[in-house]
Amino acid sequence: MSKLYSVAALFNTPDDIMHAAAKVADAGYEKYDVNTPYPVHGMDGAMKLKSSKMGYYTIAIGLTCMSLMLFFMYWVYNIDYPQVIGGKPLFPLPAFVPIMFEITVLTGAVLTVAVMLIFYFKFPNNAHPLHDSGYMKAVSSDKFGINIEAEDSNFDLDKVKAFLSSLGAYKVDEIYFDEEEANTKHKILDTKFVFGMFLIAGFTSLSVYLHMNKVLYMPPFDWMLVQHKVTSQDKSDFFNNGISSREPVKGTVARGFMPYLFTDDPEGAAENLVNPYVADEENIALGKRKYLTYCSPCHGDLGKGDSRLKGQFPNGPTVHSDKVKSWTDGHIYHVISEGQNVMPGYKKTVTRKERWAIVNYVRTLQRALDAKEEDMQ
Amino acid sequence: MSTIDYTKNEVNVHGNRSLKEIDDLIVAPLDRIPDKRFFIAIGFTSTLLLIGVIGVALSLYYGTGLWGNNNPVGWALPIVNFVFWVGIGHAGTLISAILFLLRQRWRNGIARFAEAMTIFAVITALIFPIIHTGRPWVAAVYLLPYPNQHDIWVNFNSPLLWDVFAVSTYFTVSLVFWYVGLIPDFAVLRDRATGKIKKVIYSIFSLGWRFSNRHWQHYEMTYLILAGLATPLVLSVHTIVSFDFAVSILPGWHTTIFPPYFVAGAIFSGFAMVQNSLIVIRKVFDMNDLIPLKTLETMNKIILLTGTMVGYAYSMEFFIAWYSGSQPEYFTFVNRAFGPYSWAYWTMFSCNVFIPQLFWFKKIRTSIIPMFIIAIFVNVGMWFERFVIVITSLSRDFLPSSWAYYRPTITDFAILLGSFGLFFTLTLLFTRFLPSIAIAEIKAVSEGAQPSHHGGEDHE
Amino acid sequence: MSNHEKKIEYTKKELPKGFLKYGLPLLLIGIISVVLAYQFDPMRASFNNIIALLVVVSVGMGAIFLVALEHIAGAVWSVPFRRIAEHQGFIFLATPLLAIPIIFNMHDIFEWTHNSVVLNDPILYQKSPYLNTEFFIARSVGVFVLMTFFLFVYLRNSTKQDTTHSQKTTKINALISAPFMVFFAIGITLIAIDYAMSLEPHWFSTIFGVYYFAGTFATAMAVLTLITLSLKSNGNLLKEINRNHYYSMGGLMFAFTAFWMYMAFSQYMLIWYANIPEETFWFLPRMENGWEYLSIALILIKFIIPFGLLLNRNSKMNPSRLKLASFWIIGAHIYDMYWLVMPSYNRMSGTEGPVFGWIELSFIALSAGIILVFYYLAARNKNHIPIGDPKLNRALDFHI
Repeated sequence: MSKLYSVAALFNTPDDIMHAAAKVADAGYEKYDVNTPYPVHGMDGAMKLKSSKMGYYTIAIGLTCMSLMLFFMYWVYNIDYPQVIGGKPLFPLPAFVPIMFEITVLTGAVLTVAVMLIFYFKFPNNAHPLHDSGYMKAVSSDKFGINIEAEDSNFDLDKVKAFLSSLGAYKVDEIYFDEEEANTKHKILDTKFVFGMFLIAGFTSLSVYLHMNKVLYMPPFDWMLVQHKVTSQDKSDFFNNGISSREPVKGTVARGFMPYLFTDDPEGAAENLVNPYVADEENIALGKRKYLTYCSPCHGDLGKGDSRLKGQFPNGPTVHSDKVKSWTDGHIYHVISEGQNVMPGYKKTVTRKERWAIVNYVRTLQRALDAKEEDMQ
Repeated sequence: MSTIDYTKNEVNVHGNRSLKEIDDLIVAPLDRIPDKRFFIAIGFTSTLLLIGVIGVALSLYYGTGLWGNNNPVGWALPIVNFVFWVGIGHAGTLISAILFLLRQRWRNGIARFAEAMTIFAVITALIFPIIHTGRPWVAAVYLLPYPNQHDIWVNFNSPLLWDVFAVSTYFTVSLVFWYVGLIPDFAVLRDRATGKIKKVIYSIFSLGWRFSNRHWQHYEMTYLILAGLATPLVLSVHTIVSFDFAVSILPGWHTTIFPPYFVAGAIFSGFAMVQNSLIVIRKVFDMNDLIPLKTLETMNKIILLTGTMVGYAYSMEFFIAWYSGSQPEYFTFVNRAFGPYSWAYWTMFSCNVFIPQLFWFKKIRTSIIPMFIIAIFVNVGMWFERFVIVITSLSRDFLPSSWAYYRPTITDFAILLGSFGLFFTLTLLFTRFLPSIAIAEIKAVSEGAQPSHHGGEDHE
Repeated sequence: MSNHEKKIEYTKKELPKGFLKYGLPLLLIGIISVVLAYQFDPMRASFNNIIALLVVVSVGMGAIFLVALEHIAGAVWSVPFRRIAEHQGFIFLATPLLAIPIIFNMHDIFEWTHNSVVLNDPILYQKSPYLNTEFFIARSVGVFVLMTFFLFVYLRNSTKQDTTHSQKTTKINALISAPFMVFFAIGITLIAIDYAMSLEPHWFSTIFGVYYFAGTFATAMAVLTLITLSLKSNGNLLKEINRNHYYSMGGLMFAFTAFWMYMAFSQYMLIWYANIPEETFWFLPRMENGWEYLSIALILIKFIIPFGLLLNRNSKMNPSRLKLASFWIIGAHIYDMYWLVMPSYNRMSGTEGPVFGWIELSFIALSAGIILVFYYLAARNKNHIPIGDPKLNRALDFHI
């Protein structure tokens, strides 16, 4: 069903259109528009348009985003991860200026254009009644047009046509549009659309799979996994024994470690080793931290043998048994260092001081869970 | 041409065409199948591009060890090329934004083209820092401040990060500026299009532009704002590029004149490149009327001006190097002029300062072949300027035991050639597929396009 | 646009009374108080003298530059104001009056004139081929003579054209402007280095000449705008001059305000970031003893406020807003020069913190008096419009 959109008149020269626009504005029409192939100087005045306010958007957007960026950089450097870089203060304002400036320009420019296109012009809009009309083809090239919309309150078809002709238009047309076509709603379950979405989903999944599982492991994207050098666990033909690295000389002691004299000799350890650390608050705190890291997975947080393993690995025994209570500090230290039954030794991962601290903590636990009268006082 | 009548306005569009004929002339390269000259040109440039692609592919596969970069010259040709190409882009923004603000009407004929060159030059430039990261596929992740569970952020203190912001802003804003200018032209193409596919494509890109004066009003304002934003932006971009060097403490890099000096140099080389390309384009696409000789002459004057500004900066640097009384500073400059890289220094100096002085002569300024050759020299000179800055300062750093002589490898040169190939290929394709002259803008300044009296504007 | 046959109606008219009414008393008060200042505190007076000189050079030499810029760029809109700029350039002739006291008091101002200091300081000794009294005077005289020569050439050509209407003159002006630009660039750099940078003889900054030039351009333009507005309201100019022309003036002041900030930031940023003691020591005195407030205020006064005043498109055309902005920019330039020079006074005199009193005011009065009186002397009984310029008609038809 066709409906009248507007009456459109075409003029030949810029002078004519200026004159006509001024007359139309004076005649009290409000829903009209002038279409020219390029901006004609002074047309704003002739059409009595208010001056454009785009500049205020730019300033508002630019300054807002600049402040947000400044706050973001402040947050990163002072709150989220304070870090001194290059001897600069934590809030190096001069160093922030370049980025603040760039953000102002970037957001100011891009968002102003977006505001103009989307909110002012309601673009993209290729379904406007004027499109594809002879009128549009003329004004896009070399003619100057004015069109008064049927929705204008003063609109009267014959009067408007006569009025426009009297202004010197060489051609006056009526422009119709198909109401149904203009209002066609797109269905979301349209077959083509659904098929397209499936296609995109399939393509995305496939490419993500290939990317994450195949491409990333091929050179040169392989995170430098393949390197032309011998790494520590490699086989190597260079040495007779086929090992890539040399064994340390016998008796080598790593820095910070002491040789342990009682390997395979728990009794010796129990008799000879004496805890060199006083069980003060600091030492017990260290012991607790290390105990919770290394021991508690099997022995439980309080050493009751009630671990979180749920049978996936044999539970460690309780440390509150009379047997353990009767052990000397040296004996416990030996078990931590060398392990016992399925328990591995921890001397390579836990330092000497930490092991003694754990011993102190175990002692603390034993006493805490079996507190006597006098402890309460 | 020999005498100027100062009482008359300059003619901006030659041939006094009607509006319709302007459409036809500008759209012509899009509609007809290009002739032999086009295919020769694009064959040549795409060969260069292919060389570059091979160079980049090899570098990515085997690593950046294929390049000449090595201690102490860790920044070498990739950075030289990056600065060179970003600089080339500056002329485009100068023409499209700054000359727009200064109301230089001769710019209208070449503005669109210059903006396109900006975009292509920035694309070309961006390749270099990205491949210089060695593993460009993870570069994007490390260069942007994105939220992550490690709380690791980019270093906002680093000029290299400012570069990321500056160059990407520059690219985005140039693209938006260019596209905003193109919208009405797409609408012209849409209404002229005969084929269905062409019509759909142009309709999509024209967004439904209706040449409404209610739109033109905001459009013109926004265009002015974009020009106003692009002007400080273009200055800031090369300023920030110069910060890459100047915030360091390396002699020859740390000098306060670097920001304006880099900007002047960028415009200098950019104009030379635009001039070169325009000469080729007007030859290949027969656009002698739309790009008149007068435009080229004006550009030559700007080349002369900026060349002299660059000369001022060279002399100032040299003078202050002596005046400062700082020994490393003075050594660096003497080493530049008389050290192992003196050949590069004097190439730079003669190409940038001496040769452009020929443009004092009107005869040279207005004849195509000499100006073409001089502009090539300018580009060579400006490339060597960056070479001199980067290489000489690094190759003689604070520790004499690590001094070394840098030599680019064949891969370096392949990538350099490829960058020219990419740039010119894009330029040629642009001229073939998009209106290379802003139709609406050129119509607005053609004879009789504006009403004889300006209704509504206030006169005091 | 074919109205270039239109006849221009221009009638000569007396200058506005304000030039003498305010200029002469200011000049007299200035001279008397400056003489007293030299009796009372010669060192502080001579530092203030440098500020006054730098400001007057900005106004005068900047105006000559504006004239040459129009010629070389072939600008059209500025033609009706060129004669005003030429007369404003005449103010440059007053610079010897301000420079001679400085040259007589060099020992008070410039550390590098102290032989004992120079001989014991290898860096200063190394600089002595440049920083010595004879060469200093020679440079100043050289710049003065060259600029004066060009000023008179421009003035003579321009007045001759009033009667001959010759197009050739315009062409010749364009030709001589090219070498002028070279001499101007060297000249203004030398003035900036000699009179401002060498106050701290150890310090160096390659951008310094451009920094001074940025302020110079904005100031010269501001003075030109003020004179234009006052002549226009007095009816000395043509009625065709309108808001479109003012827009360009406002635009240029706006642009160079931003340009100054760009230069100032570049200089500060690079020195702050690299943090090399040879350079940072120049900023340190400006960050303590009360100077820190003046430094922050400098950004506000010289950049943010004039930037805000001129940001809006309409405010660039509005005469009353332009007048305010011009006064502000001139004031900001004086403030900038004060900020540039006076920390060295602190160092030389052993005082601490910024000083401000009648001595400073007397030099400002003297500068203002010089500007008004010299403009009056130059422009009295002359045409204020280059009526013979072939571009004039096009300029009057100018629209944004």
